Amino acid sequence: MSNTPDKPRLAMRDIGKTYGAFAALSGVSLNVGAGEVHALLGENGAGKSTLLKILSGIVAPATGSIEVDGRPLHGHSLANARRSGIAMIHQELQQVPELTVAQNMFLGRPLTRAGIILARAPMRAAAAATLAKLDKSIDPDAKISTLRVAQRQIVEIARALLFEARIIAMDEPTSSLMPAEVEKLGAIIRQLASTGTAIIYVSHKLDEVRRFCHRASVLRDGRLVGTIALADTTEEQIVTMMVGRDLSHEVHPCASTGEVVLDVRGLSWKDRVREVSFTLHRGEILGIAGLMGAGRTELLHLLAGLETPQAGEIRLGGQVVRLRGVRDAIRYGIGLLPEERKKEGILPLRSALSNAAITSLGAYSRQGMIRSGRLRADVMELFRSLHLRPLDPDKPVRLFSGGNQQKIVIARWLLSGVKILLLDEPTRGVDIGAKNEIYRVIRELAASGHAIIVVSSELPEILYISDRVAVMRNGRMTATLERDAMSEETIMQYAARDTRVEETA
Amino acid sequence: MVTQGTLHMTEQKRRRLVAFNLRDAGTLFGLLAISGLFAVLAPDFLTLHNLINILQQSSINACVAIGMTLVIIGGGIDLSVGASAALSAVLTAMMMAAGVPLGLALLAGLGIGLACGYINGALISYAGLQPFIVTLGTLSLYRALALIVTGGNPILNLPGNFSNIFNASIGILPVPVVIVIVLSAIVWLVLRKAPIGEYILAAGGNEEAARVAGVPIARTKITTYMASGALAFIAGIILVGRLGAAEPVLGNLWELNAIAASAIGGASLMGGKGSIIGTLLGALVLGAMSNGLILMNVQAFYQLLATGIIIIAAMLVDRFTRGRA
Repeated sequence: MSNTPDKPRLAMRDIGKTYGAFAALSGVSLNVGAGEVHALLGENGAGKSTLLKILSGIVAPATGSIEVDGRPLHGHSLANARRSGIAMIHQELQQVPELTVAQNMFLGRPLTRAGIILARAPMRAAAAATLAKLDKSIDPDAKISTLRVAQRQIVEIARALLFEARIIAMDEPTSSLMPAEVEKLGAIIRQLASTGTAIIYVSHKLDEVRRFCHRASVLRDGRLVGTIALADTTEEQIVTMMVGRDLSHEVHPCASTGEVVLDVRGLSWKDRVREVSFTLHRGEILGIAGLMGAGRTELLHLLAGLETPQAGEIRLGGQVVRLRGVRDAIRYGIGLLPEERKKEGILPLRSALSNAAITSLGAYSRQGMIRSGRLRADVMELFRSLHLRPLDPDKPVRLFSGGNQQKIVIARWLLSGVKILLLDEPTRGVDIGAKNEIYRVIRELAASGHAIIVVSSELPEILYISDRVAVMRNGRMTATLERDAMSEETIMQYAARDTRVEETA
Repeated sequence: MVTQGTLHMTEQKRRRLVAFNLRDAGTLFGLLAISGLFAVLAPDFLTLHNLINILQQSSINACVAIGMTLVIIGGGIDLSVGASAALSAVLTAMMMAAGVPLGLALLAGLGIGLACGYINGALISYAGLQPFIVTLGTLSLYRALALIVTGGNPILNLPGNFSNIFNASIGILPVPVVIVIVLSAIVWLVLRKAPIGEYILAAGGNEEAARVAGVPIARTKITTYMASGALAFIAGIILVGRLGAAEPVLGNLWELNAIAASAIGGASLMGGKGSIIGTLLGALVLGAMSNGLILMNVQAFYQLLATGIIIIAAMLVDRFTRGRA
């Protein structure tokens, strides 16, 4: 498997980049051989994306040089990088949804007759031929908008191949793929590598990195910590390189008191949630595992009043309640930390203070006016206990890191006095150090008597944080596992059984 | 430790105040620059009489623009302001002409303005229609109703005490100017200090997140359109009072001047951002410019040209100074 030929396909030497006084990168060197799959690892802000931007010509480096197959790259521009055979698959795919697959593949550099007339038939044929090498199920005439994310990604890869890319950089390509699709992408990556393409693979998911990649370079604070052969390195060692310290993984005591606060019976909604029943106890952290589309987010939306169930009942402290909207749920003490932080979580233009206060303004008002002194004091106390960084309540929320934005939304619910917290992928897009902070917060909330549901697609996270795990598949709750029965294998068994049948359905 | 924390907070408070005023300071600078230019070019410009005149002439647009700013901050747009003003003012004038007591007629007119706004807001919030299209539709609808009830004729025989109110002065300031100052102060206070103000900013900035956070989206949006309708009525009635007659075509193109004042003042048509003080200054920029050009005997065509240039220049300055603060 090891693949480090004498002359690397890509050599980046002593790359440095500063923004004002801030050194985003300094002295980073990276060699990737032909046929090598090379992982680029590091926490958010470590400099991965700056390095990728320099490689793909979006940003010019302050120092250093780039060579492709021994030939130096002169002048930094997108066009230059592309001509040298460098292609980039962005995390947010840059495609035109209303154009066809073939049209997207030739976007910006079409084949023409006499320079002005689009040569449609040759373009379609070339697109179809390239696609067939990767995935025969994708129709070159289908509109991009009708494809799934995984298929759109393959179209991007085909587009890179079409223009004879020798170096393909992929930025978190699996962040929204299902497990089966991840495996398929893995197979394609192996196929590309076998034809001599050099691949740079950026991901937070260490298990994938270990399966797909040969070597890894770890960045921290803009510097290269080291380049390692993955076969000789343990996951703990990699994490220590990324974070710069050991992360403790102690088992925490369960804070559940056994008092049932939430009792859900036969809850159903639009075939997405089917006859789901479970109970939640005071002080308990209940993990909900399952594949994408299993109905976990929809279940949380029903509990948060964002949707109205079509059947079943929700009991809070023994009383049947009807949640006709978010405000009903809040009145009953239920708050949701939504899955998509930027779209549904934060109010980006407003300050941290306003974001935390928005749900509780009524309670902090007298005669129609907000009592801002008391409000500010209470919010500051919460921010302090959540270790918000920086502790600046007037800073616009969009300028905080992902982990701190999550803390601000959690502070919003704590201020409004909710007793049941629904956390949908609370650590998505949050770096490893901040993840541990969020785990600590969740624990402390449980210990102080909150009942918490955590939905997560990362099994290690579910296992680490939960006192109990419920598994969902195709809208149903297929198992509830106590702590001694919890394992990745058991969860996957209940989450993924019969997926073939369901996918075709 | 405690004192340090308090010091830190006052420091932040000051920073916030400065940041809040930076955009408004820009608009103020623009106003002063334009005034300085006219002070040199038109000798009569910088007299107390003329400056009060500018305030007077800007007051109607400012009144409409305050409401427009609320709607824009809430993520909407209200193209029907001129027609709402016409419909409510004409009906009020008809009531007064028919002998309904002044206070009662004004109260009824205010109700009509609020109703115009409520219809806009309800169609947008409950039926889920787009604000631009809804208010484009009601623009025609309200205007048509104003023309139909009057048969297209102005309402003339208004009670004398009514016109006297709007042509009077309090100290040196004309009544319309005082009305607008008072209304602005109320709206400013509500936007900064009342929950509904935070709700408007939240709903306009990110409606989905605001909904998840428990902001009553429909009520918030409807409130902005009702405020816009009410302020349009007040602007309409000020004009009727000044002229002593209610024309069913009054308020034509008011929406464009109001949007211009809001935008010059820093409101973002994407929602979530805007300033009442900025809008007032924006209205004064437009008023001062029109006044100055008239004093210089410049053709009306060039006034339109100057308005266009100012709007685009303000947006360019906005675009290229963002992210520096």
